[in-house]
Amino acid sequence: MMKNFVEFNNVYKRYKMGDVTINAADGVNFSIDEGEFAVVVGLSGAGKTTVLNILGGIDSCDEGTIRVGGKDISRLSGKELAAYRRYDIGFVFQFYNLVPNLTAKENVELATQICKDHIDADTVLDSVGLSERKNNFPAQLSGGEQQRVSIARALAKKPKLLLCDEPTGALDYNTGKNILKLLQTRCTEDGMTVILITHNSAITPMANRVIRMRSGKVISNTINQNPLPIESIEW
Amino acid sequence: MRSLHKNIIREITKTKSRFFSILAIIALSTGFFTGVKSSSPSMIATGCKYFQDQNLMDFRLLSTVGFDDDDIRAISELEPTADVMPGYFSDLIMTKDNIDTVIRVYSLPKKTDTNRKIINEPVIEEGRLPRNRGECAIESYYARITGTKPGDTIVFNDTVQNSPTTDIVKDLEYTITGIVSTPMYVTYQRGNTTLGDGTISFFMMIPSEEFVIERYTDVYVTTAASQSGLSPMENQYKSLIESQSKDYEALADERIRIFNDSTLKDAEKKLNDAKKEYNDKKKETLDKINSGEKKLHEGENTLSKKLAEGEKALADAEKKIRDGKEKLKKAEKEYSDGIEAAKKKIAEGEKKYNEGNTKYIKAKNQYDTQIAAAQKKLDDAQGEYNVQYTIFYGTTKPDAEMLLNLSNSGIKLAQELIAKLKKEIRSIEKQADIEIEAGSGLDELKDKLKKAEADLEDQKKKNQEAAKKLREGEKKLAQAKADLAKAKKEFQAKKAQGAKQLSDATIQLSSAKSQLDMGKLEYETAMTTGILKISSAQRDIDSAADEVKKGREELEKQKASGLNTIKISREKLLAGKVKAKAALDDAEKKLRDAEDKIDKLKNAKWTVSGRNDNPGYSGLEEDAQRVDNVATVFPVFFTLVAALVCLTSMSRMVEERRTEIGTLKALGYSNGAIVSKYLIYSSLASVIGSIIGTVLGIFTLPFIILDTYSIMYTLPKTVLVISWTSFAFSAGLGIACTSLVSLISCLSELKLQPAVLMRPKAPKPGKRILLESITFLWKHMNFTSKVTARNLFRYKARFLMTVIGVAGCTALIIGGLGLKDSMSVIADLQYKEITVFDQVYALSDPGTSKEMEYLMSQFHGEKSFRYTSLVSQNWTTVRYNENKSKIDLRYVIGEDQKSFRDIFTLRDRHTHEEIPLTEKGIVINERLSEVTGIGTGEMLNLEIDNKKYQARVTALTENYAGNYIYMTPEFFKDLTGKEPLYNLVYVTLEEDALENGSSIANEWMKKDEIITVSMLAEQLEAILSTLDSMNVIVLVLVFCAGLLAVIVLYNLTNINIAERVREIATIKVLGFYDLETANYIYRENIILSLTGALVGLPLGSVFITFILKSIQMDMVMFPNHITLTSYLAGFLLTLLFSFLVNFIMYFKIRKISMVESLKSIE
Repeated sequence: MMKNFVEFNNVYKRYKMGDVTINAADGVNFSIDEGEFAVVVGLSGAGKTTVLNILGGIDSCDEGTIRVGGKDISRLSGKELAAYRRYDIGFVFQFYNLVPNLTAKENVELATQICKDHIDADTVLDSVGLSERKNNFPAQLSGGEQQRVSIARALAKKPKLLLCDEPTGALDYNTGKNILKLLQTRCTEDGMTVILITHNSAITPMANRVIRMRSGKVISNTINQNPLPIESIEW
Repeated sequence: MRSLHKNIIREITKTKSRFFSILAIIALSTGFFTGVKSSSPSMIATGCKYFQDQNLMDFRLLSTVGFDDDDIRAISELEPTADVMPGYFSDLIMTKDNIDTVIRVYSLPKKTDTNRKIINEPVIEEGRLPRNRGECAIESYYARITGTKPGDTIVFNDTVQNSPTTDIVKDLEYTITGIVSTPMYVTYQRGNTTLGDGTISFFMMIPSEEFVIERYTDVYVTTAASQSGLSPMENQYKSLIESQSKDYEALADERIRIFNDSTLKDAEKKLNDAKKEYNDKKKETLDKINSGEKKLHEGENTLSKKLAEGEKALADAEKKIRDGKEKLKKAEKEYSDGIEAAKKKIAEGEKKYNEGNTKYIKAKNQYDTQIAAAQKKLDDAQGEYNVQYTIFYGTTKPDAEMLLNLSNSGIKLAQELIAKLKKEIRSIEKQADIEIEAGSGLDELKDKLKKAEADLEDQKKKNQEAAKKLREGEKKLAQAKADLAKAKKEFQAKKAQGAKQLSDATIQLSSAKSQLDMGKLEYETAMTTGILKISSAQRDIDSAADEVKKGREELEKQKASGLNTIKISREKLLAGKVKAKAALDDAEKKLRDAEDKIDKLKNAKWTVSGRNDNPGYSGLEEDAQRVDNVATVFPVFFTLVAALVCLTSMSRMVEERRTEIGTLKALGYSNGAIVSKYLIYSSLASVIGSIIGTVLGIFTLPFIILDTYSIMYTLPKTVLVISWTSFAFSAGLGIACTSLVSLISCLSELKLQPAVLMRPKAPKPGKRILLESITFLWKHMNFTSKVTARNLFRYKARFLMTVIGVAGCTALIIGGLGLKDSMSVIADLQYKEITVFDQVYALSDPGTSKEMEYLMSQFHGEKSFRYTSLVSQNWTTVRYNENKSKIDLRYVIGEDQKSFRDIFTLRDRHTHEEIPLTEKGIVINERLSEVTGIGTGEMLNLEIDNKKYQARVTALTENYAGNYIYMTPEFFKDLTGKEPLYNLVYVTLEEDALENGSSIANEWMKKDEIITVSMLAEQLEAILSTLDSMNVIVLVLVFCAGLLAVIVLYNLTNINIAERVREIATIKVLGFYDLETANYIYRENIILSLTGALVGLPLGSVFITFILKSIQMDMVMFPNHITLTSYLAGFLLTLLFSFLVNFIMYFKIRKISMVESLKSIE
């Protein structure tokens, strides 16, 4: 297991809103080890999404370096970033972002088709518990099921890093819990490095590592030696 | 500003592309429609203004017999007349570079009154109007295409239709002072003429004083109809003109009656005279021909007689030769006989001679012996004599003689002394008488005398002794001499005897000899004469043979020359006959002309024609109508596309603003207020679009279209008339449509409760499509294809919009290109399949089939001509639609059906089956049938030489350019009772003669019988030049098509992108490369474009059919012919436009931020 698998060094991201410059990331420093279940927690506007976006190759930083698996991704070109996203990153969206015109299986295939080294769509859907719903369209699935498809889609690519943006944000409590459970299992059983951002600090006990952010800065980066199983967490 | 309004403005600025899509499609639709629709009134307005400015006449009166001042006065006194201008015109011919050009020469319009406008005032485009004698102005169209300039000259041929040009105009040469155009001619059509091939090349104007024609040829009249400012294209004008024309026609009848009373009788008398003259001439000519034939006959007889004579002479000569030969044979025999006889004689002679000779030799020997003995005796006697002689003379005689002489001399001396003494004695005696003294001396002297006498005596004695001695010698000698004489005498006798004997022999010999000689001579003579005779005979024969040969040759020569002479004479006679016939025909024709003239006079007629009869005048209105027709199809189509664009855009927009609508509703805004935003949005787009489109449309399209038509029309600067109704219609339609669509889109949402609205709309569920049931196929599609397929079937409005729009684009392009194809193929079809000719020779004097025989034999003899066909092609007027409409066209009669078919193809357009021409009726071309509505089996009303006929149409034939009626000469004769007069020869050149076609034509032009030659190449050029103008139209269509495709595809892509931003962002996050992402959207575009383009192909064909129907002219049938290239071009260009949109959109897709994917669904 690689130490400092993910490394943020003095990362800045600034947005210009008219005359005002907002530092969405204001010198962010943290590192995450491989195989950890890391939760980035903070209030809205704390900069956690910015961090996730930069880490996911969706957004770029203005300053600083980001290393993932020893590779500096902050200076990559557009095309290299796309390749990075393609092969290294699995992204789970808050609103699942499934293609409405494709069935569950087809949505997974969306990922497998562009990735040579992938898990078979059926297998991955089975593993997220959607064996029966493979051929349903997103509109025919519940939120939780949609999020499972989304996770399956992310996992199918065998990413090095699974990034989850408030995956339970649009889900009800129980479904959310199930999703978190799924993610945790992936981490503990498959050794997948999972980074999850949330505004809900109640779920932090389930993480190996908790990074707290406020106003674009990391205010704490603590390791939780004994993460709790999600079932034992209530909120 | 109310926040709602602010909202609208923000909405617009935020969704620029959507707003622009609606605006653009509306602009395109209104612009195109208003633009095209304005073209038609602009054309008409331009024309009307032109006609008004130039004070175009309302009526033009023509008379078959011309007008006089009384006629003019009568016309001007007629109630509707505003102004009258009499004038002249005539068609004259100019030959330049061996090309004959028919020119219509008009008198220059002039003021009839100082305060009146000139009727038909020409527009001076360059230079000035002619003022003086020998000046002219020519038309601008011709000047432009030929590059003729002021200062150039026009030179007429000195004759026109067999009469001097100067019977018509004062001069033959006119200097161009100006280039003009006239409202009489608005197109390049110059009307018809009876000269040449019936085409007028151009018109020119000369001052009316230049005409030397007695009566005015035409009269131009303006009436209140135009002077009151009525638009000539309006019905009010038309009906007014129609009623006025009746007034003029009534006047015409009256004036004709007056004319007939005065003029006709005279003409009839003239005709009778001419008839008489003709008959006389005919008789004379026939007599001449007969006498010629008789002469020829005689000549032939003479020749044969002469030939017979010659033959006889030859036969005689040959007989002579035969005789000569016989003679020769005889002579030869004679000769050999003679020779034989002579030879015999010679042999005899020789024998005789030889005998003689022997005798002679014997005699000679005898003689010689006798002579020799006699000679010896003689010689002995001679010797004795000689001795005696010598003794006598040597001794005896001289001694005796000396003694004698001495005694003689003593005697003599003694005699002399005696004489002397005697004398002296007598003298002394005498003297003694006288003198007695001298008696002494006398005695002395008598002594002396006695002594001298004694002496003398002595001497005399001596002398006697000598004489005695001499006598003795003499006696002896005489003895010898006598002996000798005796010997001599003996010898002599003997000699004489021998000589006699010898001479006898000699005589005998010589006689033999002479006999021999004679024989020889005879032989020689016989030989010589024989040879001479033979050779002479031979010579005679030779010369005779020679003569015969010569005679034969001569005879042959004579025969040949005689035959030749006869041949020549016969040819001459034939030529004379033909000539005489031609002359007769000519006379007959003249007579016919005269009859026609009388007919004409009898049928004297005024033609009252309105402006519509001006060449091309009605075409202007029709063309304008055609443009208008084309315009009507566009709004339907464009509005449909606009509606679809609007529908997709607005429904998308309403969908996007669902929450906002819900919020506003929740806030208590009325439905109206909420809807108003979308209504305002869409109508603003359409209003602005209409305005922009209209402005662009009317300031481009009418000018482009009129510019295209300006190839055909000579019109001044375009007067732009905006068709406000079209604008209102088109803009209204656009606005109404967009508003309606927005309203419908909104209303469906407004029905819902605000709470529902504020919740994100459940995404439209994915649906299985038919394609999925084909598992095999579906399985093998990648996700992009699957998404595309599902999307395509999900948004039907978009599908329709795009497919229709793109198909429209393809159709427009195909339409434009196909239009050009169809027009350009006319030339190919018409001149390579239907009428296949290279040259048309117009004959100066049309005539019947018989009259043309000689000329046609010359045509058939020309090696460069592959096919020649003599035709009668003349103008006729066909009236149809219950005589309300008329069309001028030509009827064609082939003299010889076979050669006619070599050039003219009559066939069914579809089956290409040959159509027979029968005596049952006429064949007309398809277009004519379409125009007149007269089909197979129906009767067609036609007018030939002002007489009306009806003919049954037996079949319709394929033809593109021009209208034609075809019939057989027999049918024509049945129909009109007249022989057709042939006036044109169509010629197809041999392949190898094509290059020097014009030089061949020039050669033929030198013949009097040929008046003009027109080349196919020239006609083709004219057609092709009009095609060039099509390029602009094609360009306009392609441009609009491109615009259409771009707008539609842009709108579609825009909506797709807007709608699927999340999807796009998501797949980007998933690691799709830019191109893969773009492809995700483009697949749909590509498929829709392909579908649209494919649909557009047949649509283009339909479109072409429609356009061709709309624009087709009376005299041209456009074949519906689109080349594969045009289809391909339409297809590929459409895809190019699609690619263009995709290319532009690529940047938009690239710009989509992945952060969008994280946003919540609105």
